[in-house]
Amino acid sequence: MSRRRGKSSEVKLNLAAMLDMAFQLLAFFVLTFKPDPAEGQILLRLPPPEAVAMVKTNQQAGQDANNTNPVEGIESLIITIDSRNGSIDTLKLGDGMIGGAGSQEKLGALSARLGVILEPKDSTFKQVILQVGSKLRYDELMRVIDVCTRQTLPTGEKLTKLSFVELPDGAAGAP
Amino acid sequence: MSGSSSEGGEPDLTPILDMVFQLITFFMLVMNFKAAALDLTLKLPVIGSAMPVDTQGQEELLVLNLSTTGDLTVYGNKVELDGYIAAEAEVSRLAAKRKGEEIEPGGELPTTIVIRSDEASAFKDLYRVIKACQDRGFRKFALKATRPE
Repeated sequence: MSRRRGKSSEVKLNLAAMLDMAFQLLAFFVLTFKPDPAEGQILLRLPPPEAVAMVKTNQQAGQDANNTNPVEGIESLIITIDSRNGSIDTLKLGDGMIGGAGSQEKLGALSARLGVILEPKDSTFKQVILQVGSKLRYDELMRVIDVCTRQTLPTGEKLTKLSFVELPDGAAGAP
Repeated sequence: MSGSSSEGGEPDLTPILDMVFQLITFFMLVMNFKAAALDLTLKLPVIGSAMPVDTQGQEELLVLNLSTTGDLTVYGNKVELDGYIAAEAEVSRLAAKRKGEEIEPGGELPTTIVIRSDEASAFKDLYRVIKACQDRGFRKFALKATRPE
């Protein structure tokens, strides 16, 4: 019916209202836009810490009557980090102290020692237990974790199996 | 110049409407709903080996924000640690059950805990969060850091 009408009766859409709505939508999306921050992550598998049969340097075989399973924990490497003011004060790998003037040197030495321990094909270590002072800052801890997760196990896998233990203040320096 | 009102006063709004709709489409496509879970006031440490991992939506993630004062925030709300983790563990267990995977209480849960902690927060606060998650069966963790420029 309407096709037969003349050109003068053509329906004109009022686009101004639609444009208003579109601008409102645009304003909403612009105002709520948050770009994704450039973040990365370190993936870890964190089983609960288990008791470890640590053999002291001067300990004799069978001396510890409580040690009923001496093999338990032999696959675990223990790193001890003590902190009094948030930064790394002392760093130990097993019983051995990691030397260095600052955190960077200590972490470099730790990386080299871990490489030597984990590189041999017959190395039995599969996980690391981090004993950490309660005051250690997160960024310092992440630098130690970074060193650990860069290591490769003899199986070719990356070292991602870590456990954490919280040390009371000053416990790492105790004998 | 002095034409009648039917000839010229109204601009053609169609091109501008096209452009605005294209802009709306762009912002809708790049809208990041995951950013709502992130507390962007936290300053993350800069770590070289921190790499972005795309789980392709296959893994469930639970994002926890930890401030320097040890407060735990999720989607901008401060939450009580033990109660929240217990509830999320139950949700994860039920989600696994829906997929046909029965998980015993105390068994390993498939959800990955994503911890975004401020670089100045103390280890005792981080350990409190990790231990609460471990006690409920979470084993997979992702510690967030910023990648160097």
